[in-house]
Amino acid sequence: MRPYTYAAARSVGEALERAGDGSAYLAGGTTLVDLMKLEVVSPAHVVDITAVPLRGIRRGPRGLFIGAMERMADVAGHHLVAEPYPVVAEALRQSASPQIRNMATIGGNLLQRTRCGYFRDPATPCNRREPGSGCPAVDGHNRSHAILGTSDACVATHPSDLAVALTALDARLSLRGAGGERTLRLADFYRLPGGTPHLENELRPGELITGVTVPALPWARRSTYVKVRDRRSYEFALCSAAVAVHVKGGVIREARVAAGGVGTRPWRLPAVEEALRGRPMRTETFEAAVAHAADGARPLARNAFKPALLRRTIVRALVHLAG
Amino acid sequence: MARPSMDRIDARAKVTGAARYSADHKLPGMVHGHLVTSTIARGRVVSMDLDAARAAGGVVEIYTPDHRPAFQGALTGLAAVFAETRPPLADREVHYHGQIVALVLAETVEQARDAAALIRVTYEAQPPNSSFEDAKEHAVSPPSVPGLPLGVPIKEPENVDIKAALAASEVTIERTYEIPPRHHSMMEPHAAVAVWQDGRLTIYSGTQGPAAHAMELSGVLGVEQADVHVISPYVGGGFGGKAFTWAPAMLAAAAARELGRPVKVVTGREQLFTVTGHRAASSQTFALGARRDGRLNAIEHATISQSLGEDPGYRTTPKYYAAPNVHISMKITPGLDLPTATIMRAPGDESGSFALECVMDELAEELGMDPIELRMRNYLESTLKGKLPYSSKHLDECYRVGAERFGWSRRGERPGAVTDGEWQVGMGMATAVLDAGRAPTTVRVAFRPNGTATVGNATSDAGTGMWTVMAMTGARALGLPADRIRPALGDSALPFAGSSDIYGAVGSAATATVTPAILTAAREAIAKLAEHAATAEGSPLRGADDVRYAEGRLTGGGKAVTFGELLTLTGTAEVGAQGTSADLDTTHAYASYAAHFCEVRVNRWTGEPLLSRFTTVVDAGAILNAKTARGQITGGVLFGLAAAMCEEGRVEGATGRISNANLADYLLPVNADTVEFDVHFLDHPDTRLSPTGARGIGELGTVGAAAAFANAVHNATGRRVRTLPITPDKLLA
Repeated sequence: MRPYTYAAARSVGEALERAGDGSAYLAGGTTLVDLMKLEVVSPAHVVDITAVPLRGIRRGPRGLFIGAMERMADVAGHHLVAEPYPVVAEALRQSASPQIRNMATIGGNLLQRTRCGYFRDPATPCNRREPGSGCPAVDGHNRSHAILGTSDACVATHPSDLAVALTALDARLSLRGAGGERTLRLADFYRLPGGTPHLENELRPGELITGVTVPALPWARRSTYVKVRDRRSYEFALCSAAVAVHVKGGVIREARVAAGGVGTRPWRLPAVEEALRGRPMRTETFEAAVAHAADGARPLARNAFKPALLRRTIVRALVHLAG
Repeated sequence: MARPSMDRIDARAKVTGAARYSADHKLPGMVHGHLVTSTIARGRVVSMDLDAARAAGGVVEIYTPDHRPAFQGALTGLAAVFAETRPPLADREVHYHGQIVALVLAETVEQARDAAALIRVTYEAQPPNSSFEDAKEHAVSPPSVPGLPLGVPIKEPENVDIKAALAASEVTIERTYEIPPRHHSMMEPHAAVAVWQDGRLTIYSGTQGPAAHAMELSGVLGVEQADVHVISPYVGGGFGGKAFTWAPAMLAAAAARELGRPVKVVTGREQLFTVTGHRAASSQTFALGARRDGRLNAIEHATISQSLGEDPGYRTTPKYYAAPNVHISMKITPGLDLPTATIMRAPGDESGSFALECVMDELAEELGMDPIELRMRNYLESTLKGKLPYSSKHLDECYRVGAERFGWSRRGERPGAVTDGEWQVGMGMATAVLDAGRAPTTVRVAFRPNGTATVGNATSDAGTGMWTVMAMTGARALGLPADRIRPALGDSALPFAGSSDIYGAVGSAATATVTPAILTAAREAIAKLAEHAATAEGSPLRGADDVRYAEGRLTGGGKAVTFGELLTLTGTAEVGAQGTSADLDTTHAYASYAAHFCEVRVNRWTGEPLLSRFTTVVDAGAILNAKTARGQITGGVLFGLAAAMCEEGRVEGATGRISNANLADYLLPVNADTVEFDVHFLDHPDTRLSPTGARGIGELGTVGAAAAFANAVHNATGRRVRTLPITPDKLLA
């Protein structure tokens, strides 16, 4: 870890004031401190926002608001989350470990960096960490890497489970910066890597995530998150699916489907949603609907199993909701 | 009979943090060392820019290949086979990714780490030869090492024509099993605190064999063995990784001598993957020839591995099944630009049992026979070579009791037959056989005036429960409550017999080795105490000719006194004796046995194989402490299952870099992956092995566990995965 200066802020205003070139906000610290120890990031200045009152989980006219500084564990267990949006609670509970969920915040979760082993090892090249240095993952150990939204410059998977659930629910972010407040669809927040994988999202310098709004969606009570991984806890997804369905008279009226572990960002699958709409809620429908889920995928040498796994993970989630 | 069971006597110290492990030691004036490792796998260090590091605060010294602390020798003996013989910083050549290229020493650990990050190394890199996959086809027969049976072909009979025997069999199958590299990943990293005084080294360094560690360090440092004092009362896991001496301890000792200050070196988690040993990848091919009735006619077992250290053929195949024709061989792939391979828990036994117990399952399927029935038809009553009878073998009872406890009769004969919703449910079983030796060793038992007795031996407790077993055995031998026994271990100054037991706690033989010697030493100590009571000035029993000892009291001449009172009255600090255990009866062979039964549930959509039940029935002689023994078996089983479920060192063939050299990406099972293990001990004391009747169990649970899992996965799905670990992607239909 490189030496840095530290300041604690007590308000959003103070935080924005103290932030500057080369600074980083410190919330739960579960990503930032790790990456600083690895010297993947070396901010000159750290602004601790732990005491900034970006709290609250409340129902409002636009839906459910979750303050950016709420802890993952608290959100997962909250009745305003767990009952109307099981997919969110399940995604949170299957994330990381209890210790990390007790520390990590919602804002920090959405900003966590990829788990690509080359990104996390400064002794190797990485276009995301050092633009132009190259991407060893394309020909290297890429079993956990993405098959959707990749480029020749970067094939890193987006790691957040929560972001997948929120993408399915079309959540919006509240942001505050020097220029004031704005909101942005989460789906528009994350960038594809293209030729500039180091630009991961639309956050402006010094800007803070202040909260997340999940739109009201009564039928999202029938939703679930399925996560496939190499061990049963404390591991990132090989593939995951966030699925919600609106079923009436045995027929699917509406569906939301997003996938994790396969994309360079949380991956919404509108074509699958469309293929489910108007069809009977049964396994044959699900298997037919996912046939094209992985269209356009670019599998790598070690993750050729992912297109099939993606299709099957979605089917499994739908079968859960049918059961 | 109720089996003895006792809480670990060191438990409280461990959970409160009072137990001091090597890196917990802080000495006045101590300097902290941080290792810098190479980022290429083959080539040469051209230059090192140390200016920024030297200018950083608190830096005391930086050692590099051009400026290194003195080593007078290298590792010899067994360590030369099982550990890295090239001294650290020997020269500028780089032989593997993650090799030590510098040691930074600073006043604080942060300063050392910080300065290390400022060092810029320029390499002349060459394309490495790091792919075991590619090297397999050029594997060669290993050189023979005098006194070491590993790698030596085994043929039964000597002139066996195994190909002809296979061809003449009614049924033959041939299968290849691949196991990736594996890393010990013990909780406590290799760490050492070294201090010199008057030419003598005291080193706090976690080790499985304090006396061997002292011997090896003395060789490397060019001093007498008696001048190296290793202190290692607590070891946070060894698993073979701390059986021999590795660079971090050597560097701490050598740097402390150069600097004239105490030095601490703690290996970083990523560095443990490369600068200390690992289990090499292996590829094993089995060919079995059998009669239709299941009787084996021929076994051919050919292994390829990176090094000689773990020979699955030697360790496994002669000890499981009777067959008239056997051919076992091994080849190695020397010269790979990879970190040094060493031994790891159940070396050779784990990998060998995976392949053998899977291929037996495959043969059972081929024959349409129950896997247990196939094993019983080939039951081994005596050793393959020499036909020595086994001292006490109740493996058949393990199968019978285990099948009953587990509900083996409910297993679906046809793979994929049993489902529960979206889960395919399967059952598998496997056998575990582990050689059960013991070495003669020497123990000192002494009575003290405060009413306690010490029991000392230079073995170690790497979490195995040895502290507790020594207290319990001492208590039994002296007729005292265990809380009046003060065990002493983990110290090279304590007694040991010599070359045969110098390696301390290895080979699952520590309990079987140490406990008989405690009984002998206790007898000698009691005799000394009685003599003292009869002769010492101030003894109330002085002059009595009928002194007897029982349960801490001496009686004689109509008088009685406790030994504490006696030693207080005579003003004696202690009365004790050393005792050495008797040699092993070599008319028999010795082994521990177990039968594993595993149930898995495999998701029909996404393929995750989840462990759902596990039963192990153990035949390991007398169980001296049921509680720690159960802990040993469950820990061992999970260790073995980890290889089946998730553990895998991933080496990039093109760079020699281990791409998952950290505990986030190198997956060990977590609690959610485990179940409540059902462990049952048979009770057949092996009194031919020793008076305590205890055989080894430390590695037994590990042996065969992965095969039971793989066989259960096959029973659940019909898929036979022969390359570990068995991850979901390998089971997608």
